[in-house]
Amino acid sequence: MAVDLSMPVLVVDDYKTMIRIIRNLLKQLGFTNVDDAADGTEALTMLKGKKYGLVISDWNMEPMTGYELLKEVRSDEAMKPTPFIMITAESKTENVIAAKKAGVNNYIVKPFNAATLKTKISAVLGDF
Amino acid sequence: MGAPKQSIETSLEQVAGQIRELKTNSLGLPDILKLADVMVVSMRGFFSQLDASIYKELTDVSSFINNARSEIGRLQPSNLKQKHFPEAGKELEAITQSTEAATNTIMEQAELIMAADPEDMDAYHATVQSAVMEIFEACSFQDITGQRISKVVSTLVHIEEKIGSLANALGAAIEEVPDEEETDEERRRRELILNGPALEGEGIDQSDVDELMGDGASQDDIDALFD
Repeated sequence: MAVDLSMPVLVVDDYKTMIRIIRNLLKQLGFTNVDDAADGTEALTMLKGKKYGLVISDWNMEPMTGYELLKEVRSDEAMKPTPFIMITAESKTENVIAAKKAGVNNYIVKPFNAATLKTKISAVLGDF
Repeated sequence: MGAPKQSIETSLEQVAGQIRELKTNSLGLPDILKLADVMVVSMRGFFSQLDASIYKELTDVSSFINNARSEIGRLQPSNLKQKHFPEAGKELEAITQSTEAATNTIMEQAELIMAADPEDMDAYHATVQSAVMEIFEACSFQDITGQRISKVVSTLVHIEEKIGSLANALGAAIEEVPDEEETDEERRRRELILNGPALEGEGIDQSDVDELMGDGASQDDIDALFD
């Protein structure tokens, strides 16, 4: 099934530069409907008000981390099916295992490139 | 303190012997003065030895305090507080600002290239040329940032040397304090697995992550990553 490139995508990161980088990469990949949030709390509010086709989140944010956001999303029946990719500098094995147990769909270690982002989005949503 | 005690016991025995030799009902003033004299001599000997022992200990304590004061003085805490720490803080702030400014410039120029219309080749060429020059110029931040980081590292080395010197001077007097109780912030970071970016060679790379995320990853594969 082809990926709907107009579906809403939510990028969550507390660094504006990183949001800008991911936004530009998504734009290059063809995604046209990208929102952003500065932390897990803001993202959760947005997720409750709008159905997103994909969440791309950093891990290390205040006051709510990406890990906490992931657990909130997976514990809510309405948000539960939302594909969730973690893009983070947290590159310890325990982080990856914890994220996997919490139900993350894929995990990208920073720094990353456009090809990695495309591969991981494809692995979650299908080829595009 | 064994010697003074022994000495006074000996003196008192002598006094007691002399008293026993006396007929107390015929004890005169000269006898009492003689006894008092013996007592004074005995006590003087005891206190002189006691004084010497205490004096030595107090001298050691005084010497230790003077040494510690001298080392703390060399540490120049007011200089660290008023000069080194604020300067290091300013340098780090300047690094953050310059890297942010450079990143913004580079991204703006890259976005200009992305948005340029390739149909108009002359305009496209001019846009790309101009943007590339801006990007080159922005990259000069690395040189200045490197110099700023060197200054901060010098401050850290200076502090390390001063503290090392103080620790050496105090020597065995310093008892390592056991780890303090975990703070709320530390507990939160542990529970939420907030490790931050790993140093080169410490974390795992994308291929290790892919192994863990993949369905094919066995427990052995995961265990191998912990080795």
